[in-house]
Amino acid sequence: MIGEYMTFQVDKCTGCAHCVKACPTRAIRVRDHKAVHHPDLCIGCGECLRVCPEGVIQSNVESQFPLDPDKTNAAIISPALYSQFPDTMPCDVLRAVKEMGFDHVVDLSFHLEMFQFAVERFIAQNRQNRKAPFPLISPICPVVTRLIALKHPTLLDNILPIRRPAVMIADDVRKKLQSMHHITASEIEIFHITPCPSKALSQEMVLKDEIGSVDRTIGINAVYPELCKHVEDIREMELDIYDTDPFANIPNARGPMWSKSGGEINPLRAEGLLAVSGLREIQNCLEKIEMGVFDDMNYIELRVCPQGCLGGPLTAVDRHMAKQTVQNLVRTFGVNRRLPPYKLQRLYDRGWFFANIRPSDFTDYYPDQRQALTIDQMQEIENLLSLLPGINCAVCGAPDCRTFAEDVVRGRARRSDCFRIREIDNSKEGNT
Amino acid sequence: MAALKKSFQIKSRDFIHAGEASISVQNMLKQIGIAPALIRRVAICAYEGEMNAVMHGENGKFRIEVNTDKIILDISDEGPGIGDIEKAMEKGFSTASEDYREMGFGAGMGLPNMETNADRLDIESEKGQGTRVVMRFSLPPGSRENKTGQSA
Repeated sequence: MIGEYMTFQVDKCTGCAHCVKACPTRAIRVRDHKAVHHPDLCIGCGECLRVCPEGVIQSNVESQFPLDPDKTNAAIISPALYSQFPDTMPCDVLRAVKEMGFDHVVDLSFHLEMFQFAVERFIAQNRQNRKAPFPLISPICPVVTRLIALKHPTLLDNILPIRRPAVMIADDVRKKLQSMHHITASEIEIFHITPCPSKALSQEMVLKDEIGSVDRTIGINAVYPELCKHVEDIREMELDIYDTDPFANIPNARGPMWSKSGGEINPLRAEGLLAVSGLREIQNCLEKIEMGVFDDMNYIELRVCPQGCLGGPLTAVDRHMAKQTVQNLVRTFGVNRRLPPYKLQRLYDRGWFFANIRPSDFTDYYPDQRQALTIDQMQEIENLLSLLPGINCAVCGAPDCRTFAEDVVRGRARRSDCFRIREIDNSKEGNT
Repeated sequence: MAALKKSFQIKSRDFIHAGEASISVQNMLKQIGIAPALIRRVAICAYEGEMNAVMHGENGKFRIEVNTDKIILDISDEGPGIGDIEKAMEKGFSTASEDYREMGFGAGMGLPNMETNADRLDIESEKGQGTRVVMRFSLPPGSRENKTGQSA
């Protein structure tokens, strides 16, 4: 079964239902002792692949990446990559990636700074007149955007309509390479090395059937072993702070910091900021935003992975160690601003930062929202629930009793799939 | 006529579970395809009402009824009651203690928020006897069946 974000190789599946219970959108069931994935409801968070004991579930992000020698290959580095190598200068990490055969390596720090400038401007310009709904929600984590589209569509308009840094940079790099090497767009292959299992990059607002500005995505865990060797070699070399790659930028610690929960908002010159990471925490936070609890806040950074992107499923080292590495990098390299505000302001005024697609275009994107239950069906679910054991054992194949009741009412499961209902029905038959 | 009823007990000063009734109502309304903008209004009212019952009330009861044409939220408690309802409706008026204010409550926006968001708000209260807040929301005909394409 191949979904948009995850692939299930069910021949190895034992039907343990760990993934069923881990899925935040209840997109997985067990049927005939095998996991059944409903890609329609998948938001690509990767919780399932974190818990699968058999390795049945794999992210569609690539783990093999033969480079095409006829193309100009550029790798955009997720800031989380720096967190994987303790005591290593960010520019040495970039050098190591280049050693793997990429023609160019691209660091994001300047674009992060640009994005953060745009956030500050947007808050300042819209807070007083409330032209945009507050609190604004960070557009960075693609899984959050999908979670909102699926479960909290009222909040789609709260998503900040600014392009994500990696999207801005992919467009920039492609144009720049074309004029630099006098080649066409199709002769360029842009890679993204990422901790994120959900094929994070796409043109604008990250919902699934948009065309990507990045050609291929590779998991950090796939490049880590080879990268470690190159990093070791570079550590043995003399100090070299000059790099010849125009995209490498001599990064400071703004990138590494970005990959840690809070790293997007901490450098912002604005008030009313909040950072939340981890799936359960985020679900809770979104519910509170919907109930108006955070109406006084300006901007909320949400990252589905625990501790931020450095806790992504496709990372290689322990996330607490990665966090420590980031803290050390921040202490050594700082997160100073390096771009002149008047130039950024000019870009902002020109509309360069803004996304073309409004997230509200994705209302009713997911099928279950289109198939609303009737009031009678809802009452039927409540009635059935009163008979169910309420222990959420998942033996029936659904993650919890409420979902099972909904499946029965929607005709996707049989009453008799529940052991308690079977007992009740059998004893009734026995009496008659 | 189809009607969906659900009730919850609200435990006094239980801040760990505070808000769960409102969340559960919110999820239920989403599943039956109520328009998102209306859900948001109901959710804000439910949460304000639930928090009032948690903070000030004893033995709180939280009931919701969904009919084809309206939603009714009925939240009652056996707390201290509201001395002066007119005064309580004023923006910024609050009887919340210092402790609650430190927790971020007590901005005096609870009842005004409910009044803004509900189509109709009725408060019955007597000092020392408790409070009952009933909020009504009308469901425009056809708002449930065909929501595709409508934006909030």
